[in-house]
Amino acid sequence: MNAENGEILLVEDSQDDIDLTMHTLRRENLANNISIARDGEEALDFLFCRGAYAQRAPEQLPRLVLLDLKLPKVDGIEVLAQIKADRRTKIIPVVILTSSREERDLVNSYNLGANSYIQKPVDFDQFRQVVKSLGLYWLVINHRPMSVRGAKQGK
Amino acid sequence: MKTTPQVLLVDDNPADLNLASEALEQSGRPNRVCTVMDGDEALAYLQRQGKYANELTPDLVLLDLSLPRKDGRAVLAEIKGDPILRKIPVVVFSTSQAAHDISLSYELGANGYVCKPGNLHDYLLAIQSITDFWFGYARLPRKEER
Amino acid sequence: MTGSGTQTAAEKTPLRVVIVEDNSADAELVLRELRRSGFQVSSEEAQTAEQFRRAIRKSVPEVVLADYNLGQWRGMETLEIMRQEGVEAPLILVSGALGDVTAVECIKLGATDYVLKDALARLPISIRRALEEKRLREERKLALEALAKKAEALTISNQELEQFAYVASHDLQEPLRMVASYTQLLAEKYKGKLDQQADKYIGYAVEGAVRMQTLIQDLLAFSRAGRPGTEMKDTDCNFVVEGALRNLQAAVSESGALVVYKDLPHVLGNAPQLQQVFQNLIGNGIKFRGGDAPLIQIGAERRERDWWLTLSDNGIGIPPEFADEVFVIFKRLHTRTEYSGNGIGLSICKKIIEYHGGKIWVERQEGPGTTFRFTLPALGEETAAAVHKNQESKDENHATSLVG
Repeated sequence: MNAENGEILLVEDSQDDIDLTMHTLRRENLANNISIARDGEEALDFLFCRGAYAQRAPEQLPRLVLLDLKLPKVDGIEVLAQIKADRRTKIIPVVILTSSREERDLVNSYNLGANSYIQKPVDFDQFRQVVKSLGLYWLVINHRPMSVRGAKQGK
Repeated sequence: MKTTPQVLLVDDNPADLNLASEALEQSGRPNRVCTVMDGDEALAYLQRQGKYANELTPDLVLLDLSLPRKDGRAVLAEIKGDPILRKIPVVVFSTSQAAHDISLSYELGANGYVCKPGNLHDYLLAIQSITDFWFGYARLPRKEER
Repeated sequence: MTGSGTQTAAEKTPLRVVIVEDNSADAELVLRELRRSGFQVSSEEAQTAEQFRRAIRKSVPEVVLADYNLGQWRGMETLEIMRQEGVEAPLILVSGALGDVTAVECIKLGATDYVLKDALARLPISIRRALEEKRLREERKLALEALAKKAEALTISNQELEQFAYVASHDLQEPLRMVASYTQLLAEKYKGKLDQQADKYIGYAVEGAVRMQTLIQDLLAFSRAGRPGTEMKDTDCNFVVEGALRNLQAAVSESGALVVYKDLPHVLGNAPQLQQVFQNLIGNGIKFRGGDAPLIQIGAERRERDWWLTLSDNGIGIPPEFADEVFVIFKRLHTRTEYSGNGIGLSICKKIIEYHGGKIWVERQEGPGTTFRFTLPALGEETAAAVHKNQESKDENHATSLVG
C-alpha cells in the first residue's frame, strides 16, 4: 500500500483510522499520494532512508507528516524528536493526530517543535471534518518548504 | 472551558493589519485580535514587558517577515529559541513567495507559512482556513502551561 | 637622400634604435644603411649587457638591432634584459652567417627577424615590417579592450535592468495588493449602497488593480526567464515536452488537443526554462485555436551544431506583418474580450531561446495555422566544453543572485 513518492506520510497503527483518513483526503481531492507507516520504526526508516526504505532518495521529503503518538516499536514523541532534531527533516511540517487526551503529550509535542496538534474526534463525521480541514489548511493554504537551504536545488 | 482564542498580528503596514483584523472578524470563529507593528514590540508583548504586562499570551501569532529594525526572521528565531515562548504557534504570513524565505522560516521553527494572497477573495479564504484549523481543530497549549 | 621603399609619416620623426654590437665598424655600417634607405635615426650603441640596460632605461627604443655573437654574451640575452625592464621592442638580429636552424630557433625564442651582415639591404624592409606589425598589434589590443569594456558595460546594464525589473515588480506587489484588496472590499461592502455611478467607478478600479497585479507577475516571470547563472546541461526535449503537457493537462483535455512529437533530440540547455518555452508555445496553439480541435506537431532537424525545432499548430495563425512584433513584450494581437492574457508568453520564449544561444521566429507559410521555429545547441563535446568554460567565468562574475 505504500506509494514510492509519498507526498503525505501517515504514521498510524489503526487500520480504521488509516482508511478513514485516506478516504477523506482522496475524496476532497486534497492528496492522492499517501504513504503509510504503521509503527515508529517504519516511519523513521522511511524518513531517514534506511532499512526497508534504503532505496529512498534523501531529497524526497514528504510535504506533510501526520503522526499518531501511540505507536508500536518507537513511539510518536520519539519519532517527532528525531524528525525535528535533524537539519534535513526538521523543516517537514509534522501534525500530531492523536487520540491522546494528555496535556503532557500536547505540551511535549509543541516543545519538540510539532507544527500542530490535533485530537482525533471519536465521532466518525467529526473525524472526517477534521481531516478535511487539516488537509485544506496544510496542503492548499500553507506553503511547504522546498528543500534545506544550502543544499543543491533539485533538477 | 475554552476561552476566546487570541491572535497577535505582527505587521508594519496598518492597511494590512486592518485587512487581517477584518478578515479574522468575518471568519465566523470568535477571536480577539491584538496588533503590533514591529519586532521589538512583538517580543515585548509576548514576554509581557512594560505596557504589555497585563496582556494574555496569544494562542496564535501571524507574523510578517518584513518589519523595520528587527525583522520577522529574527523575531521568529527569538520566539522559537525561548524555552517558554517556543510553544506558541507562529504562522508566517508574508507576501514573499521566495523559496529561501519559506525554507528559512521552517528551519527557524515556524509552525506554518502562508503567503498573503493578492486578491480579496483568496485572502479571506486563507484567513478563514487559518482560523478554522487553528481555532477549530488544532489543540493549543493551555495558557497556564506557558 | 635615397630611399628604398616609401617613407611613412612615422619616419619623419627619428627612429629610436639601440644597436648592440661589439664591433663599432659594423654598427656604423648598419646606421649608414638605415640612413641610406630614408630613415632618420637616433641611435644608442651598447657593447655590454650593462650598457644595453642603461640605454633602454634612458629611452625606450622602437627597435633593437643586435649581433648574435657578442663575445662575452649573446644578442638573444637582450630579450631577457628587455623583459626584466618591462620594455617591449622588436629585436632584429644583424649577424654573420647563422645557419638556418639557429635562425629559426632565435625567432622561436622571440627575435622578430634576422638579417645577414652581408645582406644589409634587407634591414630597412625588416624594420619597416616589424614596426608595422607592432602598430597593428597595438591597434588590435586597443580594439579588444574597447570591446571587452563594451561587453562588460552591457552585462552590467543587463544585470541592472533585470534587477530593476525584479525589484520593481517585487516591491510594487505590496502596495498593489492594498489597492486591489481594498477596492474589492469597497465593492463588497458598499455595492448597492452608493449610486450606480459609484458602483461603476469601483468596478473599473477593481478591474484595473487586478490587471496590474497580473502584469506585475508577468514582468517578474519575464525578469526571471533566461537569467545568467542558470545551469546548462544535457536536456532531453522529450521529457521537457512531457513536463509542459503535464502542466497543460486541463487545457489539453478541455480542447481535445492532440500534440504529436517523436524522438525529439537531446540539447544543451536548461530544462525548466525550455519547459517554459514549450509550455508557452503549445499553450498558445491551444488557446488561439480555430474551429477544429487543436493539432500541434513538434519536430526537429539537425543542422551542423544546432537542432532546428519546429512547432506548428492549426490555429488562427499570425498575420505576416506581425511576425516580428509578436515577440515584443506585452504585444497583443487581440482585445481582452477576444482572448485573455497579457502578451508576455512569446517574449519570454524569445528571451530564453536567445539566452541558449538560439533564435526563434515565425515561419512564413501558406495556409492556416502557425509554425514556430527555434534553434538550440546540440549536445556535442566541444559545445559542452565551451559552455562549461563560459559558465565558470559567468559564475565568477555574477554579482548577486536574485531569488525569485
